[in-house]
Amino acid sequence: MSTNSAISVDKLNVSFGDSHVVKDLSFAVAPGESYGIVGESGSGKSTVLRVLAGLNRDWSGEVDILGKRQPKLRDKAFYRAAQMVFQDPFGSLHPKKTVDDTLAEPLAIHGISDAEAKISRAMQDVGLPTSFRFRYPHQLSGGQRQRVAIARALVLEPTILLLDEPTSALDVSIQAEVLNLLQALRHERKLTYILVSHDLAVVGHMCERLLVMQFGRGVEEMTAATLAARAPQTAYAQQLLTASEGFRRAG
Amino acid sequence: MNATSEAPLLTLDDLRVDFHTPTGIVNTVRGLSFTLGRERLGIVGESGSGKSMTGRAILDLIPHPGVVNAKRMEFRGKDLTTMDKASRRKLRGRHISMVMQDPKFSLNPVQAVGDQIAEAYRVHHKASAREAKERSLSMLEAVQIREPGRVYDLYPHEVSGGMGQRVMIAMMLIAEPEILIADEPTSALDVTVQLQVLKILDDLVTSRGMGLIFISHDLHLVRSFCDRVIVMYGGKALETLPAGELDRAQHPYTRGLLGCLPDLDHPREKLATLTRDPAWLA
Repeated sequence: MSTNSAISVDKLNVSFGDSHVVKDLSFAVAPGESYGIVGESGSGKSTVLRVLAGLNRDWSGEVDILGKRQPKLRDKAFYRAAQMVFQDPFGSLHPKKTVDDTLAEPLAIHGISDAEAKISRAMQDVGLPTSFRFRYPHQLSGGQRQRVAIARALVLEPTILLLDEPTSALDVSIQAEVLNLLQALRHERKLTYILVSHDLAVVGHMCERLLVMQFGRGVEEMTAATLAARAPQTAYAQQLLTASEGFRRAG
Repeated sequence: MNATSEAPLLTLDDLRVDFHTPTGIVNTVRGLSFTLGRERLGIVGESGSGKSMTGRAILDLIPHPGVVNAKRMEFRGKDLTTMDKASRRKLRGRHISMVMQDPKFSLNPVQAVGDQIAEAYRVHHKASAREAKERSLSMLEAVQIREPGRVYDLYPHEVSGGMGQRVMIAMMLIAEPEILIADEPTSALDVTVQLQVLKILDDLVTSRGMGLIFISHDLHLVRSFCDRVIVMYGGKALETLPAGELDRAQHPYTRGLLGCLPDLDHPREKLATLTRDPAWLA
């Protein structure tokens, strides 16, 4: 593993009781890179992300983020550097907290002053009108909620964003808006992304490199160009790619 | 598959579904018309487009305070608008049935899956318990479950998502309906499993000459699976066209929907976004 990667994972293993869900996984992500992890349900892709985010403390192996070896229990500084956006904006926002509360909490935790300006800026960055500031999640559409979730992650000005299926709960037209937003933010702020998704087209659009996972193992790492050329090396990656092209009637 | 050569299975003219809520009337389907032959008809649209409500209206499953109105709603020449509740109930499951999205929530959690299939058969046909069981086992085989005998006695929590969805399909098809409405039947499944389930659905629909209404938000899937596609938006059909010609769609909404999908073959820095025109609903 090169020492100048933003994220490097070496021989990561995760077990839940008897089931071994991530097996000897190693990969590295360069600063400013967007890295995709794809696989079917149960492949362990979300678990990897949760380990990186410090949400799962039961793992073995080595995880380096921004040049620092990560302990199981992360410190505050880590959470300023890396934030996560979850799949379902209907479940990941507190229903009884306004947008303002949601965005103010991370700032309060980290003792950051000037919350007022930071909140307006974060809302502006994700394209939410300031009039939405005192709305509750139920007063927002799915796409607007996901924007709030992204704003919540961005308000601490992290350099790494961990994205767990950020658009799979959204309609395609809304998905396009959120993906465009994520792309623009990445270029503007030189962010590093890890994007977990089951949708190969989304990963191909967003990422430079990707890892295909199956049964907790990394099956194949490839570039987006290899994906677009439909030229993966392994049979499983090929099968996944074919399946994502839609239904084909025999004969 | 030629739909025009025979009388349609289902005719809908100006279907409207309205919900009378305390804050006003919400129109979920506004004047939808189509006919269904022995074909695979896709209905696509985003959330809130009224696609699921259409399926439910055909089955008389619109909950209170929803009201269904139509100029014409006929199943094989029988008028559904004037039919009483009991007769509608008799059609449901026997002649027109529906596969729901998620087997986790649609199967009875405290009954073995095989018994649920057998029950579906005995509700509609006079049959002994033994005969119903035999039929259920062969139906499980028809949906390509490898050990029907073992799976018959499993409970819903013991089967995988793909298997659960096959059980649902078996249950809906055992009464041999003429029309099957599939409401997002594969969106809860992984892509590879999704294709297996579609293959089974496709084979059964073709071999039995059923009419299939396939409700989905997935344009790619509908394009590759269906014969004809209705694109819905805000409760209206904006466009109806052969699935193979979806690329040549005329309506700005359909074009917009297709344009905002990321595409491996045509990488773009920025995805197109949709601008909705209020005139579409006028």
